[in-house]
Amino acid sequence: MYIIIIGCGRVGAQLSQLLQKEGHNIVVVDQKKSAFDRLGKRFNGLTIGGDGSDLAILKEAGIEKADALVVVTDSDKSNIMIAQIGQKIFKVPKAIARIYEPDLAEVYRGFGLNIISGTMLIAARIRDHIIESHLSSYLTESGSLGVLDIPVSSKLEGKKVGEVNVPGEFLVVTLRKNDHPVIPSLDSILEKGSFILGVVRIKSLRQVKKKLGVE
Amino acid sequence: MYIIVVGGGKIGYYLAKKLHQDNHTVSLIEKDREICRMITNELDILVINGDWCSLSSLEAAGAERADVVAAVTGSDEDNLVICQLAKEKFHLSRTVGMVNDPKNEYSFNELGVDVAVNSTGIIAKIIEEEVSLDDFVNLATFKKGKLALIRIDLPDDSPVIGKEIKNLNLPADSILLSVIRGSQVLIPRSDTILQLQDEVVALTSIEKEQDLLHALLGAH
Repeated sequence: MYIIIIGCGRVGAQLSQLLQKEGHNIVVVDQKKSAFDRLGKRFNGLTIGGDGSDLAILKEAGIEKADALVVVTDSDKSNIMIAQIGQKIFKVPKAIARIYEPDLAEVYRGFGLNIISGTMLIAARIRDHIIESHLSSYLTESGSLGVLDIPVSSKLEGKKVGEVNVPGEFLVVTLRKNDHPVIPSLDSILEKGSFILGVVRIKSLRQVKKKLGVE
Repeated sequence: MYIIVVGGGKIGYYLAKKLHQDNHTVSLIEKDREICRMITNELDILVINGDWCSLSSLEAAGAERADVVAAVTGSDEDNLVICQLAKEKFHLSRTVGMVNDPKNEYSFNELGVDVAVNSTGIIAKIIEEEVSLDDFVNLATFKKGKLALIRIDLPDDSPVIGKEIKNLNLPADSILLSVIRGSQVLIPRSDTILQLQDEVVALTSIEKEQDLLHALLGAH
């Protein structure tokens, strides 16, 4: 794919390297040319020093033939503006904006813009490291589903996966022993010393943890 | 009318002051607390100290019953977002956004700002007019560039000198608004006769601008 990335901060640089390794054509735009140092010596995509909201710069970056536009500058409002220029003026098939401010993210998602907003996810995750043990992350940004990471307790030892699943509330998706993860069947046996990774409905978190014998 | 001004810089301050003097109901949103305090001391209007681009600021400023939002901050991105929030979330039918960087004017028009005011462009035009030695100057454009207001210094050999306005062969979609003769400003009538050294101000569609110039300037 032909992908334009606006903003060469940590996320922009990381994403550029990632996508280039997968063989995509990458053009990175940043106002500060020194930001391109983050891309490392092995990056051989195109870099353009300039303002990403400038239509002339976007054209120079090849926006008329781009398959995707990713806007990750450090300004929410610039990201909103540039992503909309991509979506509405140049009709880029995929225009994605990162927005820090959760309220703005929600509003613009409602307007049909493709928004990535990590602020709530990260805040919620830190909160859970403090308050809720074993919840390793949320699966959805709305926070309705999460990933539970628990050791096999004496209560569960010897049981089958199918006996631990609770329809609509908890589903075992991976068993991990000595850092060797496997996708289990319903008949897989839970062994002592291994860990369960499962999807949990957050509303049922407490009941599920109690049932699995963890606090 | 109920008008919300966003941005308490020089333009926001004087705009709010003028609108208030003209008996409009005005509220102003500014993020800097010191500036808010200053404006509150000087103007008898509702001043909200808050983020320019937040729903809660707009709500506190009375966006639900406002008629117009004018976003006049120094940041074009903010001005765009303010207009979009006002339009989509509070259903304001008229949003005015100031464009600081002329290159953003096109984007503003395309992305739903009702009126994009290109402040830098306007000031540059005025200065250009003052320094220009050309026979004509484009003073302003309206309606997304479809209409132009131009000022023309009639050259001594202009074909229109000595003629009555009704006998001028001016293109359709153009009109003479005023004749400047020395220190006098005349509103032209059909029997007004154009004289040496006159300046004229005309409104024209962009398509007819060249025809109009040709009619007034002759072979220049």
